[in-house]
Amino acid sequence: MGGASRNEKRRKQEAADRRLAAAGIRPPQRRNRTPLVIVGVVLVVAVVIGIVVVVVQRSSGGTPPAYAAAVPTAVSGAVVSVGDGPVVVDVYEDYLCPICERFEERYGDEIAAAVNAGQITARFHTIAILDAATSPPGYSTRAANAALCAADAGVYPAYHHQLFAEQPAERSAGLTDQQLVQFGTQLGASGDFATCVTSGAHTDQVTAETAAAESNPALLTDGQFGTPTVAVGGQKIDLNDTSWLQAAIAR
Amino acid sequence: MNRGRALDVVGTLARLGLAAVWLVSGTLKAIDPDQTYVAVRAYDVLPPAGVEIVAALLPWVELAFGVLLLAGIGVRLVAVLSAGLLLVFVAGVTQAWARGLSIDCGCFGGGGVVAPGETAYVQELLRDAGFLLMAGWLIVRPRTLAALDERIGNTGRT
Repeated sequence: MGGASRNEKRRKQEAADRRLAAAGIRPPQRRNRTPLVIVGVVLVVAVVIGIVVVVVQRSSGGTPPAYAAAVPTAVSGAVVSVGDGPVVVDVYEDYLCPICERFEERYGDEIAAAVNAGQITARFHTIAILDAATSPPGYSTRAANAALCAADAGVYPAYHHQLFAEQPAERSAGLTDQQLVQFGTQLGASGDFATCVTSGAHTDQVTAETAAAESNPALLTDGQFGTPTVAVGGQKIDLNDTSWLQAAIAR
Repeated sequence: MNRGRALDVVGTLARLGLAAVWLVSGTLKAIDPDQTYVAVRAYDVLPPAGVEIVAALLPWVELAFGVLLLAGIGVRLVAVLSAGLLLVFVAGVTQAWARGLSIDCGCFGGGGVVAPGETAYVQELLRDAGFLLMAGWLIVRPRTLAALDERIGNTGRT
């Protein structure tokens, strides 16, 4: 609308108001829309910021991290080493821990890319500290055992991701042994994967690894061990720094 | 001080108090998005995609409410929206309590599943009731001191 026609419209409106006033009629006040518009604009800006932050931070977007087929995987006790790069990144995770699920979602792709590029060796320490947080207790250990069985069966990185993608809620019963077996079968687990899962073949190794991590001073904050914990070159790093992996590779 | 002036002061305190609540809670949620996700997930109400969306938007919507109340723009409207969001929080905490979940509300950062003996549902609900009271005052009587609404000709209906 041009200025001229706007003026024209206002002039007509004022003339109409004057006529109404002369007739003793007070027109109802027109509603001021400015506050409504400002509130709307501020809320839209807030929503856009929220969406942008998610899009920027989210890395894997729900798809499993793509590890190259040639990446070597080795199992030692309850530790699965993936890749053979010079920088050693130790990751301590409990499969029931919600922040570990966030960690996998956020950094899974980045870790896989660094492994594929031969920059890092990722050592996944299979920890069970939340056994008491399911009912009946023990899901952390069952899932940890199943993950090590998956490493034996040659489907580890994918199975590891799957356990987080299907993570049960704390205080629930957790996934059943049958479900844990089914995930491995779907991913093409070789050998006697089902027996390994149901018999708890790696339970003792998980318990030992958990005890070792909890008593390693380099992994504690205020004397407490928690998951996820990430150590580069054996020293715990601060995950609030979202560029921790680039920093680890660069140093 | 006459009565109207005194009521203006009470309203101003309610407005600034509610602004502070939203600014603090929004900031604490925005700086730790993973914790916010875990907190929202712990209510066990939404599917994963819904948790992701709520956790992403909630901190920024809270900050927007805080900024608008601090500036005093559309006070009545923002108070209505605030009350609506607070009622959603109350519903969330109540359903968690009723279903026997043991979670921290994550109202001011933190959140997630806690040990069964460490819940604080009564305190959380009382606190929300206090915030609802502030919002309620502003809905009934949005006139406050030093609000931008006066400058932009808001007659108190928005």
